[in-house]
Amino acid sequence: MSSLTRKDLLSKDFLSIFRRSFKTSTWLGWKIESNWTDPFLFAVYSIIKPLSGAAIIVVMYSVIAQGNYDTPYFAFLYFGNAFFQYVGSVMTGVSWAIVDDREHYKTLKYMYVAPIQMPTYLLGRGMARILVGTLSVFITILGGILFLNVPFHFSEVNWLLFAVTFVLGIIALINMGLILAGVTLMLARHSDFVGDAVASSMFLFTGAIFPITSLPVVLQPIGYALPTTYWLELIRRALIGNVVDAFPTFAGFSNLQLLGILTAFALVLSIVSNRIFKACEHRAREQGLIDRVTNY
Amino acid sequence: MQTMIGRASPRLIGLYREKSWLIFDVFFPMLTVIGYVMIYKAIGAPEDYVGFVVVGGAMTAFWMNILWSMSSQLYWEKETGNLPLYIASPAPMMGILLGMALGGMVGTFIRATGVILIGSLLFNVTYTIQNGFLLGIIFILSMISLYGLGMMTASLFLLFGREAWHLANLAQEPVFLVSGFYFPLKFLPFWVSAAASIIPLTLGLDGMRQLVFASGATLGFLDPKLEAIILAVLSVFFIVGAKLLLDHTEKLAIREGRITENRR
Amino acid sequence: MEAENAVFTENLGRIYKIRGAKKNESKQLIALEGVNLSIRKGELFGLLGPNGAGKTTLIKILTTLLAPTSGKANVAGFDVYKEADEIRHHINMVSGGETSGYGLLTVKENLWMFSQFYGIDSKIANQRIKRLLEIVELSDRTNTKCAELSTGLRQKMNIIRGFLTDPEVLFLDEPTLGLDVGASRDVRKFIRTWIEEQPQRTVLLTTHYMVEADELCNRVAIINKGKVLACDTPTALKHTLRKDAIFNIEVNSEAPFSVDSLRKIAGVIRADKTEEDGFSRLEIVLKHESVLSSVIDEFHTLNLRIQNLQKREATLEDVFVALVGARMEEVEHAEFAED
Ligand SMILES: Nc1ncnc2c1ncn2[C@@H]1O[C@H](COP(=O)(O)OP(=O)(O)OP(=O)(O)O)[C@@H](O)[C@H]1O
Ligand SMILES: [Mg+2]
Repeated sequence: MSSLTRKDLLSKDFLSIFRRSFKTSTWLGWKIESNWTDPFLFAVYSIIKPLSGAAIIVVMYSVIAQGNYDTPYFAFLYFGNAFFQYVGSVMTGVSWAIVDDREHYKTLKYMYVAPIQMPTYLLGRGMARILVGTLSVFITILGGILFLNVPFHFSEVNWLLFAVTFVLGIIALINMGLILAGVTLMLARHSDFVGDAVASSMFLFTGAIFPITSLPVVLQPIGYALPTTYWLELIRRALIGNVVDAFPTFAGFSNLQLLGILTAFALVLSIVSNRIFKACEHRAREQGLIDRVTNY
Repeated sequence: MQTMIGRASPRLIGLYREKSWLIFDVFFPMLTVIGYVMIYKAIGAPEDYVGFVVVGGAMTAFWMNILWSMSSQLYWEKETGNLPLYIASPAPMMGILLGMALGGMVGTFIRATGVILIGSLLFNVTYTIQNGFLLGIIFILSMISLYGLGMMTASLFLLFGREAWHLANLAQEPVFLVSGFYFPLKFLPFWVSAAASIIPLTLGLDGMRQLVFASGATLGFLDPKLEAIILAVLSVFFIVGAKLLLDHTEKLAIREGRITENRR
Repeated sequence: MEAENAVFTENLGRIYKIRGAKKNESKQLIALEGVNLSIRKGELFGLLGPNGAGKTTLIKILTTLLAPTSGKANVAGFDVYKEADEIRHHINMVSGGETSGYGLLTVKENLWMFSQFYGIDSKIANQRIKRLLEIVELSDRTNTKCAELSTGLRQKMNIIRGFLTDPEVLFLDEPTLGLDVGASRDVRKFIRTWIEEQPQRTVLLTTHYMVEADELCNRVAIINKGKVLACDTPTALKHTLRKDAIFNIEVNSEAPFSVDSLRKIAGVIRADKTEEDGFSRLEIVLKHESVLSSVIDEFHTLNLRIQNLQKREATLEDVFVALVGARMEEVEHAEFAED
């Protein structure tokens, strides 16, 4: 065909493969996620759904508290619930492409045959969802402050702590998503549920809507073993600092100590996730699961 | 009737074979129930609210069944290429859907009972049943109108095509909110509750709560008898609507041929 | 060996564990067994076998999608098991008879996207896409959403995806499955031209169409039940039957008759009958032409009148029958009967 052909196949260095895997899959992910007949529906989907979820909690609270919104627990509850959405968005964002490509588009095998980095591809595919997720969290918080009586004071926010925490959390969650993707790859059935199942289970253990000290003692260690627990605690400390005093789960820890723990989680997960994914991939290859279609 | 049984039996068989399904359908509502119960406990709500959440959580199983199984069923059949077979077969679509509804209802009933049992044991819920007869009537009427609605949406979904998945997703949290799945309906503005009553589970759930919990009656939205009457009207409305819409869909499928094509 | 071989397998085997209907019951299915192949660079190599022979399994192993359970395989000089990442820079694959692709993207977008995953310059990719679309006569659909294509057109797009990245080794799993006669012919022609354009290009193609293997491939391996039974050029394969005399005979008969008595004649290797409108078509393979006279004598006993008698060359179908002892269709039907 063309004389240039062999040369462009030779660009095998890590960075250029990373770039093209990420760029192209982000493009694809965006095309898929934004494929709405009506862009209005897209907005509704990323606003109405999370806001309704938050509103259920607000109504539940108001029924009992009879309009007293200025309590530490209400702020604790609202922020925990809002930011926890992010766990689902990022983790399923990264792992969903495995299900989508394998079951719906039947292209997973072609992606595998292509010279790309699978983890990078998955991350790219998830970017659109992560972005929409960010938007949702932002809107939930904003909507809460504007319409649902959520107490919040701009002047008391520790923006630096918030930014650092947020980024560390995303890194940890992306890597957890990659592990989830590996598990999904090995599952021939129910692969479309694992993401939700894992995220929903974490909801109870990570102190999103009630402090983990309210859990039975035997179950509390699960909460301490989840990076999201520290992430949510730090987010709350950064955004609604004074509220945390009412829930002394981590009273003995300074911000810096908690940041250290979260950093350690992010670091370890980054190293481990790739290996776990590779191991899962290996098993999927041995069992011939890469192009298996369950056909509901 | 033949069509109905023909379609219901594979679902029932499928239910027993796929035990893992059962786990998923009990598991998800259970997690939510536990989460919401913990919230009520944290704010020191009266005991009956725990029961409200357990019953509401169990009823979500039916709503999920309508959304993910009934409504999207025809759509999935289309995706997997089976739809033309159904349309071509002499069996009326209504029969096929009724069969699916029956199979789905029985399966979901088992799962919902699971949620109620586990939730009640876990949180020590006490029930005081006041009018068993009316309770039964309300439950049955809710089911009839709910699955009528499901049949109606099944053909709507088919017309919406690929967006069906997103629509089903969209009809989750907002419906849980306006139908009062996790709190008494009474606490929503009257017109919101009234509008939400078009979804059969709204009044069904409110009526059942009034009849099984000690403090239920004081927290009810309308008189349970009135709710039963409204549910009966809804049942007729949805079943007739489903029939009309299905006929229309079937006609569209044959005339324009755009519904049977599997396209992704 | 590595230098010339695009594909090389040694004792390659694959066993699938299949879960039985009952719990804890697990069966094994030998999909491939002791496969030894070496495909030289520049070859257009065909794998010919009935349904379930193991063709797709072999392709999956060679394209790094599936791990072998025994033996080893090299593609473009790299081990499929240990150096999968390396291999992926040198290959591409297309499977026929499926509708893969992103329905919401246009034909061009689908193709462009894959070219980007291979790191091909966007401008060059677009030129290639344009040219390839013209070749398979899909140009008028360039900007059509892939969801709106028919199955066959979608497959054409898929085939282009394979050639687009200009792989060193291209794996085509039944590429013409589901295409109409004209499109199949065009695709075959294009495969031929493509491989002849550059001496480094290699194609491994599977098919269960005899003619496709015969006309298209430099060499053919005949595979059945996971084993390679023969591997040579189509001419050489047919040459193994050179001593046989193969006749197509059309006969008329008053009453139904059986070919059993023909089969009993010494020197008759094979005698098959297919009924047509008003006459019977016999296919008779003889050890030597001289046996024909005894066959014709038997016709008289059976009261058959010869309508037409033709001696013909051996085909790959005959080779398959000689190796397996049954015709390919019969093997496939037997497979289905077992299920
Ligand atoms: N994932 C799997 N699990 C279990 N058995 C399998 C699996 N994939 C293939 N097989 C079996 O392995 C054997 C070889 O299958 P394969 O797909 O390689 O055949 P093939 O030659 O490609 O057939 P066809 O012409 O129908 O495409 C078959 O008996 C098939 O049933
Ligand atoms: Mg095959």
